[in-house]
Amino acid sequence: MTLEADTLEHPEEAQATDKPRRILIVEDDKAAARAMAEAVEDLGCEPIVMRSFDDGVTAAGLADFAVVIFDRMLPGGDGVDAIARIRAGGSTALILVVSALGRAANKIEGLEKGADDYLAKPFDPEELRARLRALLRRAEMTVLDNDLIAFGELEIRMKARTVHVKNDHVPVSPKEFELITYFAQNAGQVVTRMQLLEHVWNLHFDPQTNVVDVHVGRLRRKLETAAGRAVIHTARGEGYVFDPTRGDA
Amino acid sequence: MKPVRLARSASLRLTLAIAGLILLAALLAMAVQYRTASQALERQEAQILQSDIDSFAELYDQRRIPALRAAIADRAAQTAQGQALYLLQNREGQTLAGNIDDWPEGLPAMAGGVSDAAPRVFTHAQGVEYNGVARVLPGGFPLLVARANTLTADTLTEMRGTIAWMALVLVAMAALTGGFVSRLVLRRIDAVNALADRVAEGDLAARLPGERSPDEFGALETHVHDMLDRIQNLNAATNRLSDAIAHELRTPLNRIQQKLDKLEGQPELVQELHGELKATVRIFDALLDISGALAEQGQRPGLVPLDLGQVVGEVFDLYDPLAEDSGLSCRCEVAEGLRILGDRSLLAQLISNLLDNAIKFCNPGDTITLSLRNAGGRHVLEIADTGPGVPDEIRSDLFERFTRAERDRDRPGHGLGLALVRAIAARHGAKIDLPRREKGFAITIAFPVLEG
Repeated sequence: MTLEADTLEHPEEAQATDKPRRILIVEDDKAAARAMAEAVEDLGCEPIVMRSFDDGVTAAGLADFAVVIFDRMLPGGDGVDAIARIRAGGSTALILVVSALGRAANKIEGLEKGADDYLAKPFDPEELRARLRALLRRAEMTVLDNDLIAFGELEIRMKARTVHVKNDHVPVSPKEFELITYFAQNAGQVVTRMQLLEHVWNLHFDPQTNVVDVHVGRLRRKLETAAGRAVIHTARGEGYVFDPTRGDA
Repeated sequence: MKPVRLARSASLRLTLAIAGLILLAALLAMAVQYRTASQALERQEAQILQSDIDSFAELYDQRRIPALRAAIADRAAQTAQGQALYLLQNREGQTLAGNIDDWPEGLPAMAGGVSDAAPRVFTHAQGVEYNGVARVLPGGFPLLVARANTLTADTLTEMRGTIAWMALVLVAMAALTGGFVSRLVLRRIDAVNALADRVAEGDLAARLPGERSPDEFGALETHVHDMLDRIQNLNAATNRLSDAIAHELRTPLNRIQQKLDKLEGQPELVQELHGELKATVRIFDALLDISGALAEQGQRPGLVPLDLGQVVGEVFDLYDPLAEDSGLSCRCEVAEGLRILGDRSLLAQLISNLLDNAIKFCNPGDTITLSLRNAGGRHVLEIADTGPGVPDEIRSDLFERFTRAERDRDRPGHGLGLALVRAIAARHGAKIDLPRREKGFAITIAFPVLEG
């Protein structure tokens, strides 16, 4: 099966045809909850806010949520412990833990206990939106073992681990291939440096220098040279957008 | 720490000392006993001799020589060979009666020292020792009565033998008891020592298994356990406090961050403030990571077997392009298959901090070398560069939190990178060294090897 970028369903557009998807927010801090609700609304989804651990776990079982955002250190318990209970309740929602326990060790603990993503507080709203978009996309794109992912004239062959632009081979390093694969999975959307570091390098701490920029820069130059126009764009603030169909820089 | 060897055990020495004293006292008592017994025997012999010679003398007084001769002959006949000697001579030295022919050689004849007042010990036929008394009866008849020492000597020999055996048995018993007692004590003490070792290595949750016995060892163990409980509670409280601080401060920081987004008109200032917030959070994280790693120092839980070379390679690959873009040449020499017990995330952070520093402080044209090899029974990670090195004045407290060189004040950073490196190394039981180089900075971190 070939996945065409042109037919990719953007979550933002989803609400036009369908009823908006719901995202459960379990957070006791009002300001954080409001910021989360705004981010959810920005993505065209419907936020439902709960303020305690037990209410959150109960609510997760009552309706069909696309994503559950769970705080840790809530009145009544640790959001990481809620993951197993939400899963046991039969919910298939993807779980994003957002917590002030933001060290790499905390993140790894959360991910190992079944969180689908982990975001440390304080968070940039843009980072939260990027994480939510990636999760929503993961929820809707179940099949990703396509051998060929094509975006117009840019083709990524998963098994051969090659990239072609206009049928010309673009030599990429193994890491660059993983980078472009992750970009492709989130095509058209902002991907942050932390997301890249976590998914491509499996590192959960924030390095002092923006090492990721150098890698993205190299890949970006290779693709730009081959395509004759920008493929990876710099997003305001925190990240990049992979969009081969967009022409501007 | 190695367990105390039996030979060096204080309890063994104490038990042996006590046993030795008791043994000495027993030997002394037996020696006194022996001496008393031998003196008693001697006195008894002397009395027998005295009464013998007295009765002969009396017989002579009453019934003269013929009766005495008959009595002596009679007595000599009754006496078993070698038990006693009797001899009666006349004035001319002719033997009148007795069981020996002549006055024994070596025993001074009559007028000599032998008298009934002073019994003399002498040797006669076949080397048998005799104890004898002599008296010259009125009319010039020398009379000798002697009894063999054999019986006394045998008794005393037997006694000495018994004493020797007793001493041997006592020594053996002392050694056995000492060994047993100290083994018993050592086992209990060793258990507490082993526990203390585990705690010193960082396993605060370590406890002795089983029930506490109602003796002094049980009391010691209970005290140690109470102490450990308290330390563990304090530690947990400290950890909870750090987490709470992080949480309580992050929440208002989060509100600031969310409100920043609402600001309009000064995008550059907002961007700068975002950067400041991020740096603040980074300091938090570094401090929490440092205290977290130090708190978990030496604890096995959380560490998994991993290929250190692989982690080194991954982080090197992450930084290599950055170094290249900064005009540095970067080399990575990693031996294969060097496995340790480690936490991948922490190790990656350690290598990342060191590479970050090297890249930050080196100038274009410098070289950074990252190597991993096995040396001296450890897996040694070395990061060396040809950069400006470290000023001597901060070399000694390079690993302390917030240590920065004066000349680097205008460079970004908070002086937490190396403190975290040290904490992570300690978490892995690794030793850090700063070998002096002619040029640049070098650091080696020697990890314990994972066997098998």
